[in-house]
Amino acid sequence: MLGAALAVTATACGGGDESGTPVLKWYARDEAGGVFGTAIDDCNEAAEGRYEIELQALPANADEQREQLVRRLAAGDSDIDLMNMDVIWTAEFANAEWIRPWPEDQVAAATDGRLETAVESATFEDTVYGIPLNTNAQLLWYRKDLTDEPPATWDEMLDAADQLEADGEPHQIWEQGQRYEGLVVWFASLLASAGGSILNEDGTEVSLEEEPTRRALEVLRDVSTSSHAPPALATAQEDQGRQGWESGDAAFLVNYGFVWPSANELAPDIAEQMAWAPFPSVEPDVPSTVVAGGFNIGIGAYGDHPDLAVEAATCLAGEPNQTRNAQDAGLLPVTEALYDDPEVTEAENEAGVKLFPYAAEMKEALDRATLRPRTPFYNDVSLAIISILHPTADIDPEADVDRLRDAIEQALKGEGLL
Amino acid sequence: MTAATPAASAAAREVGPGPKLSGRARSERKLGLLLCAPAVTVMVLVTGYPIAYALWLSTQRYDLRFPDDRGFVGFDNYIAVLGNSLWWQDLVNTTVIMVVSVVIELLLGFALAFVMHRAIFGRGPVRSAILVPYGIITVVAAFAWRFAFDPTTGFVNGLLGTEQSWFTEKWSSYLVIILAEIWKTTPFMSLLLLAGFTLVPDDVVNAARVDGASAGYRLRKVIIPLMKPAILVALLFRALDAFRIFDSVFVMTRGAQETENVSILGYKTLVSRLNLGLGSAVSVLIFVCVVIIAFLFVKGFGTSLAQQRGES
Amino acid sequence: MKPGPQTGTRDRIFWGAGIVIVILYALIPVAWIVTLSLKPAADVTDGSFWPKNPTLDNYTGEGGVFKDEQFKAALWNSIGIALIATLLAVILATFAAYAIVRLDFPGKTLIMSGALAIAMFPPVSIIGPLFNMWRDLHLFDTWPGLIIPYMTFTLPLAIWTLSAFFREIPWDLDKAARIDGATPFQAFRKVIAPLAAPGMFTSAILVFIFAWNDFLFATSLTSTNKARTVPAAITFFTGSSQFTFPTGQIAAASVLVTVPIIVMVLIFQRRIVSGLTSGAVKG
Repeated sequence: MLGAALAVTATACGGGDESGTPVLKWYARDEAGGVFGTAIDDCNEAAEGRYEIELQALPANADEQREQLVRRLAAGDSDIDLMNMDVIWTAEFANAEWIRPWPEDQVAAATDGRLETAVESATFEDTVYGIPLNTNAQLLWYRKDLTDEPPATWDEMLDAADQLEADGEPHQIWEQGQRYEGLVVWFASLLASAGGSILNEDGTEVSLEEEPTRRALEVLRDVSTSSHAPPALATAQEDQGRQGWESGDAAFLVNYGFVWPSANELAPDIAEQMAWAPFPSVEPDVPSTVVAGGFNIGIGAYGDHPDLAVEAATCLAGEPNQTRNAQDAGLLPVTEALYDDPEVTEAENEAGVKLFPYAAEMKEALDRATLRPRTPFYNDVSLAIISILHPTADIDPEADVDRLRDAIEQALKGEGLL
Repeated sequence: MTAATPAASAAAREVGPGPKLSGRARSERKLGLLLCAPAVTVMVLVTGYPIAYALWLSTQRYDLRFPDDRGFVGFDNYIAVLGNSLWWQDLVNTTVIMVVSVVIELLLGFALAFVMHRAIFGRGPVRSAILVPYGIITVVAAFAWRFAFDPTTGFVNGLLGTEQSWFTEKWSSYLVIILAEIWKTTPFMSLLLLAGFTLVPDDVVNAARVDGASAGYRLRKVIIPLMKPAILVALLFRALDAFRIFDSVFVMTRGAQETENVSILGYKTLVSRLNLGLGSAVSVLIFVCVVIIAFLFVKGFGTSLAQQRGES
Repeated sequence: MKPGPQTGTRDRIFWGAGIVIVILYALIPVAWIVTLSLKPAADVTDGSFWPKNPTLDNYTGEGGVFKDEQFKAALWNSIGIALIATLLAVILATFAAYAIVRLDFPGKTLIMSGALAIAMFPPVSIIGPLFNMWRDLHLFDTWPGLIIPYMTFTLPLAIWTLSAFFREIPWDLDKAARIDGATPFQAFRKVIAPLAAPGMFTSAILVFIFAWNDFLFATSLTSTNKARTVPAAITFFTGSSQFTFPTGQIAAASVLVTVPIIVMVLIFQRRIVSGLTSGAVKG
């Protein structure tokens, strides 16, 4: 009976393999507006029968995407031809040889005209391993009815919030303080703005210069222990920040651009007063440096058609698709020219609201942006940082510099429990 | 099958197993093994290799990101885990959650089972309603609880009139996690206890009542002993599951505020950090702990595992 | 259980209140999920329990779950896989439990404790090798690929539950019935089967809910709509942007996914307690 049942249900197993047009599977999260589907249609057309791309959906959460990809890549899965890789995975995947280096002759096509940081994020040990697809960085969002001049530094922001509190106005400052990657982004941005870095150039040793690290930790602690820290700061991710902003309790919000269209749709009163500025500096008169995020398209090491995959990826990450991704899904382009292109900068949603009024400031931030440490051990490093820094309200700037250094050193050896 | 064998086995028992196995007894053995074979085969085939592999992995240094850097390290992984205070802290957290939730669930489960059993009207809806929490997908339920207790978007703070940020402190996080667990899995307990109630024959209970026994006495001395098998299964499996709780904690706090437990640790090491050697060692240690718990339970209840009962 | 001859109003009030409390306990969080699913995106964060502007957007609207092909496939997968796994698991467990309780053979304790050990081993470390095994056997991303692990991990609970039940059944009742003139089959059907039913239906519910609820195996052993079940499919929901959490859709999906459970439970709950009637058992 068992066998019969299995036989019946086994018809679901294994579709036929047809020889003919090679099918390239693109493992990516299916973004809003079906933009990847449309990109695939366009690129399949352009391929003129040489290959056919098929989207293989991944979970919405980046950690779960990595989980799925790694499990299959480590097993030598030939099904993965192309995949969307978070910028922090490049070193790990490249070192484990799960992705192929980009062919020498195609590197120029993949990198020319693209943001430097984005190209760097797809590079490991001077070899390019992917083509940048989209990028991201945070801005400071504030309300014109509460603040005339956006604060230039974190200390200024705290002072402004103090004043607002005294005046009985909304005064919360929202950042991402949850125990996850977003906290590392906050810390790394502060550290870079203070002039420090987590690892050295090669990514082999801990750097964490004393003074900048202490400054960064002080900012974290000051914001988190102030009366302007929302009660849920220690569990706030990007979406919680958006919700806090739209509820009207917030005066300042550090977050990605997705909050703009959302506020316009869901909280128009607040959106009317919404303005933006660069990520606050740590040192006065020293412009801030934010961490850049985003995704690159990588080629699976075990796929059957690597050369076709490279072609497909180059098409998928081409300018027309980047433009559509920006218009319909809010994914920021990586090609520099697009930041001057009215199709992007003047794009509007159905309600006639401009989608990227902040394009110029965003481009500036991206030009100055930094990356998180590019080491195969990045996952462990990230966990180590998170375990020391969370909750941010409990940070002790003096002691935690050393604790952080020790934890990251251990992480770089891949040892111990985290 | 079932019609013939009771007669056959009853006959075999009447004959009695002598110093040598009679033909009937032998065929009974064969039948017994045959009946168990499908279940045993499935279980062994599916988990045999993975468990053996996990055990073997725990003695290796094997990081999935560095597949070339593998080697036998004996018990080094275990020493690393047992020597790390994080493991012991997580173990304590896990035990706290387990004990508190299981105890409350047992009491609450009894009450619910009682209602399901004895309600004089509306039994169908009540029983269905009680089982619904158990049927809701765990991650969704956890998310709903978290959302409800979120200071910005939830309704609990408004309801209770507090400003408490539940997930930023250890004890309030524990409270919500345990509440969510209890809400979700008490139905499991009460289902088994309800089934246990049905095993208690009315006449025995009525006889006791007629003899003048109070409700409490009836409960303690009559009903509960007769329900022992059902209680054992309910407690045992519930405790094992409670020890390995993962989804709720992960969704609500991700293990922050010292609510991290051993399952989250295992997941982080194995799946997130891809350290198969260390992660397998953590898993094996979790298994050992669970075995100890099971052992204590079974011993404590004193029921023999496969007691044969022909007569009632 | 029949109520006694005097069911006064006081009793009814007592039970009525008790039932209301119990139902509230069980359903308030469920109601919360339902109201979440009825809230438009703007109101999701308004901090109130009831939706101020209820809408069916999350169900039938643009991004609604009814329009989501992936979700519909997942629902179908979930139902099929859970039902088949339940059927097979209960059958196998019944055989085994019957044998363990009624027959004498070596290895009983080994089987019971071995089964328990299997249920206790942390699944997270099993999915790795299981994934590799399934890929080699072409069971990855198939229905059997999920049905088999679900059976495996519910068999211990089912066997233990059924053993506990079967041990309490007065098996010789069917002997008595046959002495009274019933055929063996009639004896089985009218006497033994009703006594075995509560245990079997209880096990069936437990197995079904395990298969229905499971997330770990579903995410690790599936890849496409061919076999992905609802708990895994929920993680594929994307909000209106990269970072927006699709609260409404997830709530709507959960509501839809709970309906089969309610149906199943409504059908089964009578069978669970339909066992011993007061006349059947005499010391």
